Amino acid sequence: MYSIKNRLTLISMIVLTIFMILTAIALERAVVKRALQAEEDRLELLIYGLLAAVDRNRSGSSITISHERLFESSLMTEGSGLSAMLYNEQREIIWRSRSMVANFPDIETMEPGDWRFDIVDLNSSRYFRRAFAMQWPDVRDQLQHYDVVVWKNADRHFNDVDRFRQTLWSWLIITTILLLLVMYLVMMWSLRPLKQVGREVKAIEDRKQNEFESRYPREIKPLTENLNILLNREQLQRQRYRNAMDDLAHSLKTPLAVLKGFSTANALDQTEIKTLNEQVDRMNQIVSYQLQKATNVAGGEIVRPLDLVPLTTRLISALEKVYQARAIKVEVELPDRVMLRMDEGDCMEVIGNLFDNAFKYGKNRVRVEGRLQNQTELVLEIEDDGQGLEPGEIEKILKRGTRLDEASEGQGIGLAVVADIVMSYNIAMTFAESKLGGLAVKLVFQIA
Amino acid sequence: MRAIVIEDDLDIQKQIVDRLQQEGFAVDYTDNGSEGLYLLQEYPCDVAIIDLGLPEMSGLEVIKAIRNEGNSVPVLILTARGRWQDKVEGLDAGADDYLVKPFHHEEMMARIRVLIRRASGWSDSRIVCDPVSLDTATQRTYVGEREVDLTAFEYKVLEYLMMHAGEVISKTVLTEHLYDDEADNDSNVIEVFIRRLRQKLDPDESLQPIETLRGRGYRFTLVRAEQN
Repeated sequence: MYSIKNRLTLISMIVLTIFMILTAIALERAVVKRALQAEEDRLELLIYGLLAAVDRNRSGSSITISHERLFESSLMTEGSGLSAMLYNEQREIIWRSRSMVANFPDIETMEPGDWRFDIVDLNSSRYFRRAFAMQWPDVRDQLQHYDVVVWKNADRHFNDVDRFRQTLWSWLIITTILLLLVMYLVMMWSLRPLKQVGREVKAIEDRKQNEFESRYPREIKPLTENLNILLNREQLQRQRYRNAMDDLAHSLKTPLAVLKGFSTANALDQTEIKTLNEQVDRMNQIVSYQLQKATNVAGGEIVRPLDLVPLTTRLISALEKVYQARAIKVEVELPDRVMLRMDEGDCMEVIGNLFDNAFKYGKNRVRVEGRLQNQTELVLEIEDDGQGLEPGEIEKILKRGTRLDEASEGQGIGLAVVADIVMSYNIAMTFAESKLGGLAVKLVFQIA
Repeated sequence: MRAIVIEDDLDIQKQIVDRLQQEGFAVDYTDNGSEGLYLLQEYPCDVAIIDLGLPEMSGLEVIKAIRNEGNSVPVLILTARGRWQDKVEGLDAGADDYLVKPFHHEEMMARIRVLIRRASGWSDSRIVCDPVSLDTATQRTYVGEREVDLTAFEYKVLEYLMMHAGEVISKTVLTEHLYDDEADNDSNVIEVFIRRLRQKLDPDESLQPIETLRGRGYRFTLVRAEQN
């Protein structure tokens, strides 16, 4: 769930669904209750209508309801579903509407003035029953107890309620889906600037651009602006640092070169010349090694993927130029394209030093072979047909500044620098005897 | 041989110039890039030694400028930056070799000699036009098995002519490549040295190694030996 989009989608979905369900339940209850209340009120009105049609029977001993004075025509129509009846104190039906076709159960005794409303299941149908208990004076002005009961078939009402429920939930589901969709689109739209930030970070990482270039909304703008300031500052800082290192190299090495020049002066005796040379060489090795180390990039900055093939070609052609007189035969076998996540300067330092050694110590042949391994690694082998190295010599040469052959060109720190760089990039480096007879250096790079 | 040295550190510049002059080179030198470019454009030379970190115009810019003009003089770059990226940049720009400071002057001289030989099509330190041969490392001259004792200036004249064996070398070109100062240019002196060389190399006049082409200059007539 490490995605803002997923989190927002899930939360919105849950909240919206709960909200819609609660709303629907509340709405449904209110509507159903209101409809029931309306039925109750309607039946109460009907009872008042019946009371308005109350008359004495012929003997005058009891009351009856005059059909002629009834305003509700359903009571006059047989099977209309609406029936009314009048009970006397002895629970006998003394009047019933003409619409009444079924036998309805008697009601319990009620106190005068009581109203009752209930729903009764009868013969696989449901009925509303509304009852009113009253007292009416007889001819002797004695109050007699009567119950007026109205029955109404409720099947249609409940069918209507079911239909309403179905419609309500259908619309609710449709609305929820539509709302979720809209919310998702809104979310995508809102999160787009963040996605753009991600894309630009990738582009900066790949060195396709130097800073955030897109226009961002107010909320994200301070972030990208500050990141731009940070990136620019970091680039300037890095440039300043490298310039400072270059200046340092220049300002230290130039006096060393002057001292080196004096070491051949006639005024000095052989011992002095030897001491001076040794000290200058030592100082030079320390300065060179520390400067190389200081300018290594690994882990210090974002590096874009680098194609090793053109870099290798460039180095070989430069070295062929330098060692032209030796007419060394170079065999190169590399894939068409190999991307490594490595700083160009560091990569050139590693490959350059190893190639240079191969050219320097090889007799006639140098072989460079690169092959992919498991689609994730590049195995690069650099071989020469020189004398090779003993295992002890390899260990010794990897130590900083050790120089096996004082007479050879170079500063004697090449392999130590290579060892430092490959260690900082987690590149495996091994030495073996080459089939050509000399040294074979094997490097295993992780492909970008 | 004539060399142009472009180095802004005056101590190093002096050491290089002194060493080259000791080795018999005629040397022009400057401490800034734009003047160095002017020297390279205006004065013929056999090798240029250029420092990369120069004021006004960097060493790389000077090399690119002369290469764009079609000048193929061998260039040795001097750099305090030992990183391969810088070396490759220099070589890509048109330099022929590099030397990282500080360096042994012997190493510098060895590289300069290689560059000059390479530019004339010689890969070995021995220049051989049978039966005459020159060992540029020891500066010794032989005719067959016989070693010939030459003065420093005679050696310079012979080395230049043998480097360009078969080519017509005018007196002007010869003096430009051998004399430090234009004021020293005296074509009569060249004629004297040529006469002495003929006497020393070919006392019985059977080889005729140096031909005089009237009004045009001299040509070393002996055929270059095949290089391995």
